[in-house]
Amino acid sequence: MSALSKRPSRGGSTGRSRSRARGASVWLIAFLVALVATIQIRSQAEVERSLVGVDTASLAFLIDDLHRANDALDAEKSDLAQRQATLQSGSSGAADQVLTEEANRLRALEGLVPVHGPGIVIVIDATGLTALDLQDALNNLAAGGAEAIDVNNRRVITGIPVEQTRNGVSIDGVVVTPPWTISVIGDANRLAEVAGLMSQQLHADRRVREATYRVEADVVITSVVSQRPFVYALQS
Amino acid sequence: MSRQHLGSIALVAVIAMATGFVLAGQIKAQLLTSSNQVARYQALVRSVQDLEATNAGDRRQIASLRAQIDALESEAAARSAATQALQNQVTDLRAHAGLIAMHGPGVQVELRNGVPGPDAGSQAGYLVNFQDVQDLVNLLFAQGAEGIAVSGRRITPLTAFSGSAGQVIIDQGPPLSSPITLLAVGDRNRMQATLEDPSALPDIRARQVQFQLHLTYQGSADLSLPAYDSSLEIPHVSPL
Repeated sequence: MSALSKRPSRGGSTGRSRSRARGASVWLIAFLVALVATIQIRSQAEVERSLVGVDTASLAFLIDDLHRANDALDAEKSDLAQRQATLQSGSSGAADQVLTEEANRLRALEGLVPVHGPGIVIVIDATGLTALDLQDALNNLAAGGAEAIDVNNRRVITGIPVEQTRNGVSIDGVVVTPPWTISVIGDANRLAEVAGLMSQQLHADRRVREATYRVEADVVITSVVSQRPFVYALQS
Repeated sequence: MSRQHLGSIALVAVIAMATGFVLAGQIKAQLLTSSNQVARYQALVRSVQDLEATNAGDRRQIASLRAQIDALESEAAARSAATQALQNQVTDLRAHAGLIAMHGPGVQVELRNGVPGPDAGSQAGYLVNFQDVQDLVNLLFAQGAEGIAVSGRRITPLTAFSGSAGQVIIDQGPPLSSPITLLAVGDRNRMQATLEDPSALPDIRARQVQFQLHLTYQGSADLSLPAYDSSLEIPHVSPL
């Protein structure tokens, strides 16, 4: 009796152990499923929240651009602070000095006076290049730090019309026939990098016969633009 | 086999199947982003956000410094006719450089992202890019604009456009993205007429059809443009 009573007892214990093991494995698998699903959902959410469609390389370029931009803003702040200090000094002629320097600087950046400085000269000989091609090239140079630009003795600043006409590309109403000689003043190293990339792209273009550039210690730009008086705009 | 036993087996099978589906989906979609990768992205994004905050602070300081300098110059001009004449010249030059807020009649143009196309090769075509903004600015200046601002950033004689993947960077500003609003003060009728011309802005027109890129515009009797608030340094240029 005792033996009979023991057998079912032993068998019941084994069954309960197996049942517990099965239960544990079910819970383990359920736990793993939940874990994988959670990791998956969180990973996606993290990526979507932080990237919003921007890849790592673009973010790195953006950081580089922002560093350069903030350095330029710092330089501008220092320059303005210096001007402010000069004006606050109240010394005789301080205001005239600040205003004269400011006028000269603005005339140079608005293309109203001949200028010189370090930079590069690019020569592009091609057939069939359009105003959009020239606009892109000029914008690339501006983004590369160009401070003054001339194309075939026509001064170019943002706002000067570069248009497509029947006779070719015109700058401020005057047709500039190829070859285009683009003289640029600015940081020669940065400009040379931009010009190098532009030359590579231009060489791959069938319309282009020649695309070269050279770095010069002193590029002279004698062309100027005429300032147009405002007709519609009023100062706020 | 007991009913409970069968139930357990069925449950294990269902869970195993679910695991399989999740893993297969994960591998197929290549969405197994490691925590390192996410952390790296987050670090880069944090850097961008910090730099943008610095950028905005610097631009506020520049605007404030310019206003203080203007006030000091006006004080000095009030004491001398020669200084007053100089200040008038500089004010005019600053207005043409975009350093002074302006208002007047003009057009307001809005550019918005379209809808991604089915072809992966042309996936960026639905996004507004910096060339779109550059083309619009060039067109409006050529057709009578006297001043332009793009989403609050004033265009100057030295302005350059850059960017990638739907981001537009103007000069030293942080990136802008869709919707982009251009305000142009000038000859309103001429600018409106050119925007209505179907042969103008060929690339944008083509993407309006292909990707439903949005280009809308309207004339206005009075638009206000802010002053430029970034750097206009030209350290390498000297007058002859």
